[in-house]
Amino acid sequence: MSAPIRRRKTSSLIVLGIVALALLTMPFWAGSYNLRLATNVLLWVGLALSWNVVCGYAGYISFGHIAFFGIGAYVTAILMQPGVGWNFFATLPVGAVVAAVIALAVGFPTLRLRGAYFAIATWAMAEGVRELATVASITGGSGGLVLPVKSDDTFFYWCMLAATAGAYLVCFLLLERSRFGYKVKAVRDNEPAARAQGINANLVKNQAFILSAVIPAVLGGINAYWITFINPDSSLNTILTDQLVVMVLVGGLGHIWGPVIGGTVLYLAQQQFVVLFGDSTAYIVLVGALVVLVVLFLPDGLVSLLPGSRRLNLIRRFIRPRATTTTGSS
Amino acid sequence: MELFASIVGGLLIGGLYVAISLGFSVAFGVLDVVDLAVGMWVVMGAYAAVVVQDWLDVDPLLLLPLYFLFFALVGAVLAPLIYRVRNNRYAMPALMGLALTFGFATIFRGSLLTGFGYTPRTVRTGLANTSWNIFGLVLPAERVAGFLTAAVLTLAFAWFLYFTRSGLAVRAVAQSKENAGLMGVDVKRTSTLIYALYTGLTAMCGAVMGAIYAMTPELGPRYTLFAFFVVVLAGLGSIWGVLVTGLLLGVLQSLVSTFWSADYTLLVVFLSLFVVLLLLPNGIGNRRSVA
Repeated sequence: MSAPIRRRKTSSLIVLGIVALALLTMPFWAGSYNLRLATNVLLWVGLALSWNVVCGYAGYISFGHIAFFGIGAYVTAILMQPGVGWNFFATLPVGAVVAAVIALAVGFPTLRLRGAYFAIATWAMAEGVRELATVASITGGSGGLVLPVKSDDTFFYWCMLAATAGAYLVCFLLLERSRFGYKVKAVRDNEPAARAQGINANLVKNQAFILSAVIPAVLGGINAYWITFINPDSSLNTILTDQLVVMVLVGGLGHIWGPVIGGTVLYLAQQQFVVLFGDSTAYIVLVGALVVLVVLFLPDGLVSLLPGSRRLNLIRRFIRPRATTTTGSS
Repeated sequence: MELFASIVGGLLIGGLYVAISLGFSVAFGVLDVVDLAVGMWVVMGAYAAVVVQDWLDVDPLLLLPLYFLFFALVGAVLAPLIYRVRNNRYAMPALMGLALTFGFATIFRGSLLTGFGYTPRTVRTGLANTSWNIFGLVLPAERVAGFLTAAVLTLAFAWFLYFTRSGLAVRAVAQSKENAGLMGVDVKRTSTLIYALYTGLTAMCGAVMGAIYAMTPELGPRYTLFAFFVVVLAGLGSIWGVLVTGLLLGVLQSLVSTFWSADYTLLVVFLSLFVVLLLLPNGIGNRRSVA
């Protein structure tokens, strides 16, 4: 039993090493188009990761995650306006704190209730933030804000890589290698039982939600400085949330590698779609259809097609019922 | 006087919110999945009326039963899928059910955007630009017609729920699936029935709503939020609660847009929802636990 596991561990370490090497040397061999593409992939992987924390691990769907992305973007933009003039790196923690406070305010009353309440509350929050950004004067209204220009794609690649990789490391350690991760999963799988074990379920759920709100805020700040111009349509658009949902679902809900696979595959597919058909609203139909198809036919995402996963075992059990019942330990 | 007119106007709109939220609430109780596409059913009803007025030379509001039939049919096709996802063996079926209806909503929104674009459309009826003077109050005719339609639909739906055998089955399934199943109720068929009724009802209300407000495909989430606001405030499964809070929502919206700005409606609705969830997590009309 231990040999295949060790082999799997070694092979995944090799894959991880190759990916890390490619990412670290990317600015030296990739062209500027590819570098921008890679930066965007990193952004989406990070966003998908953050959504996976609240949805896949905590078991609560957030339809307003893009609000945190927008909040981070706007905090950075406001603090970097000529009159204020903060350092870029100093604005990121501020955005993270603002997002965390708002996440607590939304999560505290709704995470006690069934998932639907939370889903709608976050959705309403995103719409509310968008309305506020469109009418308020500090956010520049529907015209948006312009940031100081820094045209250095390599710099932003490193920022995005650091943020996403950092977020991944933190989430991996917290959710897969610590007591906190066990608590979150226990609450997700059976809340009454988890409570009976002495876990403070509300606290754990709020912590997970705050963790998942801080990541998009930081990424939003970096992205705002990169694209140098933000408005409610670009930073708070609901289609961005739709995309997050589909990325995590396609990748694999509640699996640490799901967001990487889903985010990369779908972002590149979307770029290909834009190249082929232009910036069309038909893309929204495609995203919706993908959500429906994945939910109906592949509920565990693309990750479940990897060797040795739960889904594959399930399929095997269908094909050879007798052979797996003796070893079926999962 | 302005205040009074604003309140009456809000009550008239509130009638439509009641009709929409009632079906939504019952479908939620039976299927155990919050239908995030509820706002899109409203919008699609309005666009069905727009299509009718573009292609046929009839008043779009005269064909309400047609919209009901069409969207009930669509609902009847989708309901078994929702039922299947809600009752499958995979992890987190409730969450997957939410994601599924979200996928439906996204498909509808994308299709409407592709077909009709972002331009707001209005359902033009013979009632537009007419208003009736009742006791010194000038009421736009389409709002009154909308309220009357909603009242008839609400009464018909309540009659179905409380005075037919199918309605009894629906209420039984909403209370307990296992026990209803043991009593010989076909849970799957009841779910399909109620979902079809609800989608047809909601689309009809949407067609009327389209005559009162301009519609764009982007408005779906707004109506979803409204329906949810009513149901949460009412407490799940409370029909009287839905009646009161639906009218309340109409008045709230009307007051905000009269005395402040229509831009802040969603913000105010959200803040009220937030406060209610904070103080009364079980809703106003209901003391049962929903957590």
